[in-house]
Amino acid sequence: MNPSRLKLDLRNAGALWLMLMALVAAGVTGRVDAATRTNAPLWSIQPVVRPALPEGPELHPIDRFLGAEMRKRKVQAAGPTDRATLLRRVHLDLTGLPPTPAEQEAFASDPSPEAYGKVVDRLLADEQHAVRYARHWLDVLRYADADERMTAAPGIHLWRDWVIGALHEDVPYDQFVQVQLTGVRANERTQMSATGFRSRREPRPGDLFAMGFLARGTGEHPQDLAINAVDTISTAFMGMTVGCAKCHDHMYDPISERNYYEMKALFDPLVLRKITLAGAADLLAAGKVQLEVARRRAPHERALNEFVAPFRAKLYEDRVQMLPPEIQSVIRKAEKSRTVAEQKIADDYYPILRIDDDKLTESMPEEARKQYRELQRQLNAAGSGVGPVPALPVFYTVEVDRVKEQDKHYILTSGDPLRPELTHEVKPGWPFGPAEPDFRDGHIEAFVDWLTAPGNPLFARVAVNRLWQWHFGEGFQKLSSDFGNSGGRPTHPELLDWLASEFVRVGFSMKAMHRLMVTSEAYQRSSEAGPELAASRELDPEGETLWRFRLRRLEAEPIWDGIRAAVGDLDLKVGGASFDPTSGKGAKRRGAYIVRGYSASREVTPNFLQSFDVDDGRAPCPLRTRTVTAPQALFLMNSPDVDRASRQWADRLRAESKDDLVGAVERAYRQSLARPPSPGEREEALSLLAGDASRLDRLTWLLFNLDEFLYVR
Amino acid sequence: MSDSPSLSSLYPCGRLARRNFIHQIGGGFLGLALGGVWAEAGEIQDAIFGPHHVPKAKSVIFLFMCGGVSHIDTFDPKDNKWAGKLIDAIGFGDNLAEMKRPVIPCLRTFQRHGQSGIPVSDWFPHVGSVIDDIAVVRSMWCHEGNHFPAVVETQTGHRGRAFDHPTFGSWVSYALGSANRNLPTFVNLGRPSSPVQLTGGYLGASVAATPFQPGDTPIPNLYPPQGGSPAERERQMERLHRMNQQFRERHAENTDIQARAKAYELAARMQLSAPEAVDFSGEPAHVQALYGIDQKETEEFGRQLLLARRLAERGVRYIQICHAGGGNGAWDSHGDMKSHGPLCRATDKPIAGLIRDLKQRGMLDETLVVWTSEFGRTPWSQNTTGRDHNPKGYTSWLAGGGIRGGMVHGGTDEVGYKAVDSPHYYSDLHATILHQLGLDHRKMEVQSLARTFKLVEDGSPIREIIG
Repeated sequence: MNPSRLKLDLRNAGALWLMLMALVAAGVTGRVDAATRTNAPLWSIQPVVRPALPEGPELHPIDRFLGAEMRKRKVQAAGPTDRATLLRRVHLDLTGLPPTPAEQEAFASDPSPEAYGKVVDRLLADEQHAVRYARHWLDVLRYADADERMTAAPGIHLWRDWVIGALHEDVPYDQFVQVQLTGVRANERTQMSATGFRSRREPRPGDLFAMGFLARGTGEHPQDLAINAVDTISTAFMGMTVGCAKCHDHMYDPISERNYYEMKALFDPLVLRKITLAGAADLLAAGKVQLEVARRRAPHERALNEFVAPFRAKLYEDRVQMLPPEIQSVIRKAEKSRTVAEQKIADDYYPILRIDDDKLTESMPEEARKQYRELQRQLNAAGSGVGPVPALPVFYTVEVDRVKEQDKHYILTSGDPLRPELTHEVKPGWPFGPAEPDFRDGHIEAFVDWLTAPGNPLFARVAVNRLWQWHFGEGFQKLSSDFGNSGGRPTHPELLDWLASEFVRVGFSMKAMHRLMVTSEAYQRSSEAGPELAASRELDPEGETLWRFRLRRLEAEPIWDGIRAAVGDLDLKVGGASFDPTSGKGAKRRGAYIVRGYSASREVTPNFLQSFDVDDGRAPCPLRTRTVTAPQALFLMNSPDVDRASRQWADRLRAESKDDLVGAVERAYRQSLARPPSPGEREEALSLLAGDASRLDRLTWLLFNLDEFLYVR
Repeated sequence: MSDSPSLSSLYPCGRLARRNFIHQIGGGFLGLALGGVWAEAGEIQDAIFGPHHVPKAKSVIFLFMCGGVSHIDTFDPKDNKWAGKLIDAIGFGDNLAEMKRPVIPCLRTFQRHGQSGIPVSDWFPHVGSVIDDIAVVRSMWCHEGNHFPAVVETQTGHRGRAFDHPTFGSWVSYALGSANRNLPTFVNLGRPSSPVQLTGGYLGASVAATPFQPGDTPIPNLYPPQGGSPAERERQMERLHRMNQQFRERHAENTDIQARAKAYELAARMQLSAPEAVDFSGEPAHVQALYGIDQKETEEFGRQLLLARRLAERGVRYIQICHAGGGNGAWDSHGDMKSHGPLCRATDKPIAGLIRDLKQRGMLDETLVVWTSEFGRTPWSQNTTGRDHNPKGYTSWLAGGGIRGGMVHGGTDEVGYKAVDSPHYYSDLHATILHQLGLDHRKMEVQSLARTFKLVEDGSPIREIIG
């Protein structure tokens, strides 16, 4: 049966369709979530109502909510962690870097109750905090340096650097999203002249690079840009897997296939535009060079073309002769006199009529071939014929094509750009949006106004849940990009709502939320549980109530940074093109700048990142997988990187401690684990060194391989 | 709150951790009763599926020719009566418009080999000499007509990458677990067409392919850096264990911390066993010669196949060898069929050598050798002397592991364009391999993101070739 017919019939028979969907849902999972079975409205799209703080002895509002839940479940909380552990925890969380021995010293010697708050403020003001949190966001926004047919790859790191800059400036979250979707802040779209003339306002100059977010979605087909925009925006900012509705109505959520294509229609008119990032002088100079090269090449090009013309003509004629007569007549027509249909035929036959150099040389006698090669050598000697010399840096942005904006939009069968369903036209719109959106500012602008409105329950909920996840290891909503029916329910719905309303209240300041979360008691709790907490472990083994802090493995980038920080040569320069550590160049920069991406023909994401679970950026990644594997152990045990770093670090220790081995051991622990060694550890280390400072590289290797080095506790 | 999925069962980015899979062992104790192939202690401890029935094969050596081998010029002879004629070529390869394309003559000669008398082209004389051990399936087909999508389709069993489906080898790795605790379960040799051929997808990194590189260091970072003595390394590992002790005790209930100790153990064991596996010094000259290692043209592939045998011998479940990969793959002969010549010569003798060697050692019965491409090639050219992509009909062949040798199954039409006689979608090949491994593909389902994923969406084993 023709599948599009099937779909048509079912659309007409709405009731049958719903019944079938229910059957499919039941059959497919074999386990239908309670939320799917009941007709309860989707929780996440209900308005956020700021809950009252529960009663309780806790001082911090977050702890009030958590405390109430713990009391209800009779779970007892662990005590606060020790100060050294807390300092390392908050440093690694907020900046991805361990505290230096000096910072450890300063914190230890400041007994004031404000000491911790001061550390938090210092870290949030540090640009390295933005580097760390940009990495989190860029996973969600599927940043990649390379992807299949990703035209926008050159200069894409400027988008990454824009995100870093925006987080550092604490650009409010609503504006953070607005700029990436439209290039401007919503309140800066237009301006009035003194005489009352309204015009489009120039975007802030650096904000151009925010458009890398949309440009990154370019792929093989022009429609990929819009398709990627819908998939990423809906999961990242709405927490809705709208992408599921590309081929069929969503199985669990109230998102129809029509909704999907309405949303896609918002982005259909976007086209990629290349921007050369150079001043007038550079452009003029490049133009001049190009002209010179063209001039030098011209006589050689002419000679070569004249020489091959007869061979080319013969080959071409041979091929045309093989074609059916009706095609031949089309091909033989001059381009201008072909009809549109005929031109299409001619274009389709281009690949088989194209004459490649190898076929050309094959058709030549030996003598002619020699002559041909000589002419080609002369041409090459005259200079390269492609692009301006030297290459100028470029960046790809997107813009609305005013002609494409007039095009009609259709549902695509199975999401295939080549199969539009001409009987199913759609108008721009989006799921959960108003029936008649106000498009006066533009299509995407109308959507952005709805999306980033303080009253949009999804927008704030999804964002604070992500921030929580990055601080605590898991969100209230564990599938942090799926707030639909199949994503489960949040563990602490009231706290989530309180935080969402607080986020709106503080004007979407992400730094304010970071501060709020990391100053809670819950954040400062110990990750260990002694025998006195056996009951808590029994009642809540997964630690859902946050009765203790979650132990978790560091991601690839902080591991990389931690190794360089111990060696003491970590380059903290912010931004710039990504680097490949295997090339040796830039190997002292932060792990956040290590190249990542995908190519069908070569390995882009280095082995180190892959073995520590970094995605290739092809799909939005809401939370990294955390595996524990043998290749990770092999990297830390044997890789040349760790071997070199162990020896360099030993050199540093020798230089800093002279012959004082006790001091060297003390430093080594502080520089890697951010704490002094225990007496037992000191003894073990000193016995390993056996009075010989040249054995320090054995100690440094051990510290890199310790579980504690890889874990935040 | 009770209906909220725990993070350990629902991984982000569509991935799942192996240990969290719903165990679907049909006959839990069946494994114990099987004896024979599964006899080694602890062998099926890790098995998540099956065995569902008595397995025939222990391991698979999967030979993947990147770019698309011309079946017409190798194992599916056609007479040349259509040569030079224009025929319809709609929707093939790069052709989107309706157009006619000229059928090109096949310049090969075919010779009947062995007792079965199966014709094999002069490009594969050595394979011809072992044809009585081979079942040639001439009627394979798939949907996708371009390399990358076709590699995705044939290697993951699903079209497109929307769901991050794992590659076939990782299904096997996931389902059966390890038969050798010192080596990976799924090894890749040679450069694949696409990294998709290595991915564990939503099954997770632990079942993904471990690429063995050529040379003395098969796995990245396998060996300790120069300078340290083994005894010193041993002492260091003991110290590491001691220094980790306190941390591990404090976090004893954390499964990741438990896994980390195991990861170091496996790393250490691989350090010992991988060098032994890649060391050919114990292989006599006549065995190396069987694989063509003594000749320049066949040396590289010969080494890979000898390594494949050694890995199979040591219990690696799935050894995937990608020949001429990278980009579209070198078998992609659009311009001139002559470019198949060197590729056939590089692979012919090693493949025959592998089958002979396995047979001599009595291993062929429990080792399934599969030879295939992502698709075949068209009878016509794009007005060149080469052939275009043809997903509609092509040849794969299987040997050993309980497959009936010396037979041809299925067939294409008279020009070699479309599978018409017993056509088999690529999933049938997957189902066949799984069947020989003792697995029922219909019982292999996993839950992820509230969906049920089937490893083989459709299809069934090719019964006719199963011995």
